[in-house]
Amino acid sequence: MDRTIAPEYQQAQGVELKFPKEIQLQNGVMLYHFDEVKDESVKLEVSWGAGTKYQSKILQSAFTNKLLLSGTAHKTAQEISEEIDFYGGYFQKNIDKDHAGLTIYGLTETIQPIFQIVMNALQYCVVPEAELQKEVDIALNGFRIESEKVKTLCQRKFGQLLFGADSPYGMVAEESDFHSIKREDLVDYLRTHYWENQPTLFLCGKVDDDFIQELQRWSAGFDQLKKESVVQLDKQEVGVIHQEQEGAIQSAIRIGRQMFDKKHPDYFSFQLLNTIFGGYFGSRLMANIREDKGYTYGIGAGLAVLEDASYFFVSTEVGVDVRTKAIDEVFHEIERLQNEPISEEELDRVKNYMYGEFLRQSDGPLAMMECFKNIHFNKLPLSYYNDFFRAIQETSSKKLQELAKKYLKKEELIVVSVG
Amino acid sequence: MIDLERFELKNGLRVIFHQDTTSPIAVVNLMYDVGARDEDPNRTGFAHLFEHLMFGGSANIPNYDSPLQEAGGECNAFTNNDITNYYDTLPVQNLETAFWLESDRMLELAFTPKSLEVQRSVVIEEFKQRYLNQPYGDVWLELRPLIYRSHPYQWATIGKNIEHIAEASMEEVKDFFYRHYGPQNAVLVVGGNTTLEEVKRLSEKWFGDIPQREKYERQIEPEPPQTEFRSKVIQRDVPANAIYMAFRMGNRMSDEHYLGDLTSDILSAGTSSRMYNELVVRTRLFSNISAYITAGWEDGLFVVSGQLSDGVSREQAEEAIWVELKKMLDPMKDPKELMKVKNKFKTSKIFSEQSLMNRVLKVAFFELMGTLDQIDDELNRYDAITEQQLQAFAVKTFRKENNSTLFVEKTNG
Repeated sequence: MDRTIAPEYQQAQGVELKFPKEIQLQNGVMLYHFDEVKDESVKLEVSWGAGTKYQSKILQSAFTNKLLLSGTAHKTAQEISEEIDFYGGYFQKNIDKDHAGLTIYGLTETIQPIFQIVMNALQYCVVPEAELQKEVDIALNGFRIESEKVKTLCQRKFGQLLFGADSPYGMVAEESDFHSIKREDLVDYLRTHYWENQPTLFLCGKVDDDFIQELQRWSAGFDQLKKESVVQLDKQEVGVIHQEQEGAIQSAIRIGRQMFDKKHPDYFSFQLLNTIFGGYFGSRLMANIREDKGYTYGIGAGLAVLEDASYFFVSTEVGVDVRTKAIDEVFHEIERLQNEPISEEELDRVKNYMYGEFLRQSDGPLAMMECFKNIHFNKLPLSYYNDFFRAIQETSSKKLQELAKKYLKKEELIVVSVG
Repeated sequence: MIDLERFELKNGLRVIFHQDTTSPIAVVNLMYDVGARDEDPNRTGFAHLFEHLMFGGSANIPNYDSPLQEAGGECNAFTNNDITNYYDTLPVQNLETAFWLESDRMLELAFTPKSLEVQRSVVIEEFKQRYLNQPYGDVWLELRPLIYRSHPYQWATIGKNIEHIAEASMEEVKDFFYRHYGPQNAVLVVGGNTTLEEVKRLSEKWFGDIPQREKYERQIEPEPPQTEFRSKVIQRDVPANAIYMAFRMGNRMSDEHYLGDLTSDILSAGTSSRMYNELVVRTRLFSNISAYITAGWEDGLFVVSGQLSDGVSREQAEEAIWVELKKMLDPMKDPKELMKVKNKFKTSKIFSEQSLMNRVLKVAFFELMGTLDQIDDELNRYDAITEQQLQAFAVKTFRKENNSTLFVEKTNG
């Protein structure tokens, strides 16, 4: 048997996604339900347009989200938590720049009582002052720890330079902001962006009709339309910015620029380019800066898409003594993509890897629901993943070179390092 | 009941097949019976360094990752004090690719100087990034030797210090491979939409001709029971003082593991837990507090750790934790408290088992621990726990003579 010869393998043919059923509840509230689940697990995500971009005061959105289940006139946060726990339920609070809400986990037989407890707590939440103080202390402690890490400091600076320090997408809190947040700010935001705002529901699991009826009744309480807010973008900064950090043994580096959204004609091909460049373990960046030079434990690149903006980024932490060398190598790899065609062998390998990734990312009901949420929130067609697959198949080495020349110009990138 | 078929090859390799017809992805998991506990005390961090080297090319295949990516696959690995685990996930039609790759590196690593040189640097960067450059990053490097005076658990997987890794030689690397990496020291678990016949065929084809090496007989003296309180203070550039209290308890296979697990849930899981409500919410002595178990295969630890709020003294903090621990010796006021942690376990178990990778990993753990026949008993073991048993666990475990405490003092400026 010749062990040097690889066994035959097959290429994936496409993506087989299943989508949830669309159910319209009261007042236009939409429920997306995936019920082909082979066990008793039930996951319900309730999402509002209540992310940080909507706030009128810094930290307002984040703290309102933290305090969603902080207590009513009749129950303390602990009591609410006890009741949910008794049913074996879990809940998570979710927040990003665009969306905010709750996720509830339970079983077919317990999801209804868990839902009732959670939503009762949300609807009658009084935001107790003591709870706010406690959350401020905890968050401030976490903030201080994070502020010692070069990676965090670099991420913050990168965001500020990319979107502007005053922009909802680039804004960063300071310690003093934690002391300025008031209970009234949260009571206000809870009303305007949760109670008087329209949620969307994503439900994964087997549930009985009673539970759907429960959701119908609950949705009747929302008679407002969805809140809208669009972030205006400024021109980004470019150039090289370094912030010394005394005593640091690693430097964090972020390189990037504003980019396009998922509907842009170059989006799919750019994702292929990005994967080759820095999107998987065998990427150009990893092969050079980690596996060849040993400068880092990890380096990667990606395209992050928000509701109103997007950005391309390279991110890593390297030994302080090799910071400038590492940055040089990143630009060297960009130049290679611009000047040397990618071989068919490498191109095929990365395409195959990406086809495998599509399978991994759509494996099972929870993963399929995440794919659907992506389509839903970004207003993409249902054919999106198959379009993506086909576009990867059809993208040539020549096209990738053009994209590298068009979008990865050194003078259009910002380079930020801390440490 | 988890669907399992088990067989052994002549060279001692244990193979287990778990069929799952619902996923397009297959998981191939190879767990080796070697961890940080098997290292020479003057050459620590080796098992983990070796894990990195396993991706540097084998005798017949110069690069591990590329052929796997070509077949739409992805791989990763982890090392802990007890074992080293490698796993590949790939479209099930391409299962054979994973067998080819895993078997070749079990047969023979490429042992190139370049690979050793690079992975040494990478691991040193990992040491810095995760342990030295993070607030509280080196806590366990300080706490372990306080608890374990003779046992290999006294050092962490990353190693005692950077020098051990920097000085590793090729000879030592080769020696480590032949001593620990062989079919007789490994468990292969395959999960996915394939058949037992196919798994047997591929196992025999690719692993069958790997020679059996000498079975590694682990001879580690158990750490004697602790008989006196131990304490240490370290100064670090951190934003808040922190405390870490460790208590000796039974290993992963013992009854105490389950008792300790539920006890830690009662004390600190979620916002209805005792320590959270007393120490974070009501008295505000801590900004966060956590109780957890380490589940070591040789020996277990029950740990309470937390960050002190500004102005709280070490004495106040320690005293407050002891009060909560001692309360576990008393009968529970509310029977719902035990019910709730059992119900939460049920829910989380169902969610966890959705992942094929989680199921496959669990099978590998149980087989290597020698307790595969107990794999379906977990729920019953938790369900059967009584208040009296929890009280007895608390009496035995939460004693000053059984405790090692590390205090992290923040330096000014």
